[in-house]
Amino acid sequence: MNEWSTQLAAQLPQDSGSRPDWFRALRHAGAEQFRTHGLPTRKDEAWKYTGLAVLEQHGTQLANGVEATLSSAATPLIEVRHQIDMLDGRMLDTCAELPAGVTLLSLDEALCGGINGLQELLELLPQSAQKKLSSDGFTALNTATLGNGMVIHVAAGIDGGRFLLRWSTTAGGNTGSGARLFNSRICLILEAGARLELVEQFETPHANANTSNIVIQADLGEGASLHHVRLVQEFPEASLITRTEVSQKTDSEYAYYGFDLDGGLVRHDLHCSLIGSAAKASLSGVYLLDGKRHVDNHAKVEHIGPDGFSEQYFRGVIGGSAKAVFNTAVYIHPGADGAEAKQSNANILLSKRAEIDTKPELEIYADEVIAGHGATVGQLDEQAIFYLRSRGLNKDQSKRILTTAFCRTVCDRLAYKMSDDKLADAISQRMMDVMPQADDAG
Amino acid sequence: MLKITNLHVEVAGKEILKGLDLEVKAGEIHAIMGPNGAGKSTLGYVLAGREGYEVTQGEVVFNGKNLLEMEPEERACEGVFLAFQYPVEIPGVNNTYFLRAALNAQRKYRQQSELDSVAFLRLVREKLKILHIGDELLHRAVNEGFSGGEKKRNEIFQMAVLEPMLAILDETDSGLDIDALKTVAEGVNRLRSPDRAMIVITHYQRLLDHIVPDKVHVLADGRLVATGGAELALKLEEQGYAWLEGGGIETLGNQSAGQAQMP
Repeated sequence: MNEWSTQLAAQLPQDSGSRPDWFRALRHAGAEQFRTHGLPTRKDEAWKYTGLAVLEQHGTQLANGVEATLSSAATPLIEVRHQIDMLDGRMLDTCAELPAGVTLLSLDEALCGGINGLQELLELLPQSAQKKLSSDGFTALNTATLGNGMVIHVAAGIDGGRFLLRWSTTAGGNTGSGARLFNSRICLILEAGARLELVEQFETPHANANTSNIVIQADLGEGASLHHVRLVQEFPEASLITRTEVSQKTDSEYAYYGFDLDGGLVRHDLHCSLIGSAAKASLSGVYLLDGKRHVDNHAKVEHIGPDGFSEQYFRGVIGGSAKAVFNTAVYIHPGADGAEAKQSNANILLSKRAEIDTKPELEIYADEVIAGHGATVGQLDEQAIFYLRSRGLNKDQSKRILTTAFCRTVCDRLAYKMSDDKLADAISQRMMDVMPQADDAG
Repeated sequence: MLKITNLHVEVAGKEILKGLDLEVKAGEIHAIMGPNGAGKSTLGYVLAGREGYEVTQGEVVFNGKNLLEMEPEERACEGVFLAFQYPVEIPGVNNTYFLRAALNAQRKYRQQSELDSVAFLRLVREKLKILHIGDELLHRAVNEGFSGGEKKRNEIFQMAVLEPMLAILDETDSGLDIDALKTVAEGVNRLRSPDRAMIVITHYQRLLDHIVPDKVHVLADGRLVATGGAELALKLEEQGYAWLEGGGIETLGNQSAGQAQMP
């Protein structure tokens, strides 16, 4: 465990004592785990390509829990009925007029009781973490500081509609000093046949070098459906470390659309467990990088029950001296017969200094399985560039049109599967605005 | 409008064009015919500015400007249009979006105001009507999954919208059945104008039944070896290119094709 991890461990909060025993035990377990292993290092296989030196350089300290109020916020990605502002990992206020059958509480409120399944869900993580202790240093830290966050519970058969979660951090923490690390936990519990759309917007409207360490846990009951859209457009000095854990029962469906458009260091561990039979997980995303940014996506689907379907579809455009890491893993466990799994990852490198480390993994221990994976890394098609230029578009415009088209397919999937052109167009427009430029050489 | 003098072009170190001379005036249609490998497509690409085509000698003057110094997009903005032999498929880029972006890039270059989507759509509808083309091409990605005929029609449609001064049609007839050929040829004829010149590169005479050229040139081994009127094309169709080999060529260059002697 390195010196910085030791410093962070020393900043862990003391137990307040006013919470349920099981909760105190959970935090205690997280703290113990963190004190023993600290944050991951490059020696951990899952963090081989992603170093955390930048967080240390910013002198990042654990946030001390001072209440803050929202001074300014980014324009909402889309207009929604239910918008929740999360500042420094804390829920600011609750939405009015929730649909019948939907409960939304801050994590603190939820701990007072009344949310069916919350304890079981929260206790899931340390258990799964024991298998890979060191790679879960951030999750251990998140558990050790558990308290900030939010719970949404959707009762059986209810369509909860769409919620926009707008994340930001307070000013201060510019490069060099005062950067803080915020922890937050989101729990989503969808009973049988329930539906929910969660749109997350990570966009702090002022410069900061803060780190957000967020864990989302979703429990999908039989036939439940969760659509999860995530847009990350943080400042290049800010870091975002997230883990999404989805546990799926029979016939449930989880669809993820991730758009990593800006932010210095972005790491996302996305993990779906298809426990029941015929559960579906569709994970898709785009990462656009330039400058010296670093984006690391680890997507993992475990087929445990039979006849599950999973799909991973990711597109990346990397320019400047940026670095992307993409790890997509599918494990088809014994008994998950009849599983179908597809993995696709395509990348365009726009400069000679840009880097992508892509690694598809597939392990099959069941019968009658259909599985396929592909990963490609390439440059823009010279013929297509010439075709566009021959019609009057300059080189930069031509390249921008081609890279946008390459990524637009993810928006098209979103538009089609969520029947929402407006959201897809809003994201597509943002993608175009930040599309990395090709080097002249590239 | 266009004057090519002693043009020598190398591709990957191999000389393809070996001293080509050609002058095209406004309002004229010139057909360039010739056997495979003669350098016909190379001529089209050199004029459009494709990378990898190195001009080692000669000059190309377009409306008094040195065309060879310009980037491909500048040439387009100056009024040069190449209808590709193999139009490139560009998945994910909507045909209408692409064409409006191109037209506005050209208008901006010429210091004209850009067209908004309403004005652009009006223009597009008008052109489709003139060309007798349905609007199904508008909603699709550029050339993606288009049949051979649709791709060529899309080229002609782009030409109609961009209104170039000089259009080079590179084997626009290849891969077309007779009905598609007629549609394309009709489109080209409707775009004939006293201000516009066209160079029609083709393998076969049949396109020239529908697009009647002012002049026909034969390109063989990197040079124009014969020039004549529309009737030269008929002769070529009848006799093939084999008769060009040997002594007949020199004299042919100075005579009308009708009087050309066969070896």
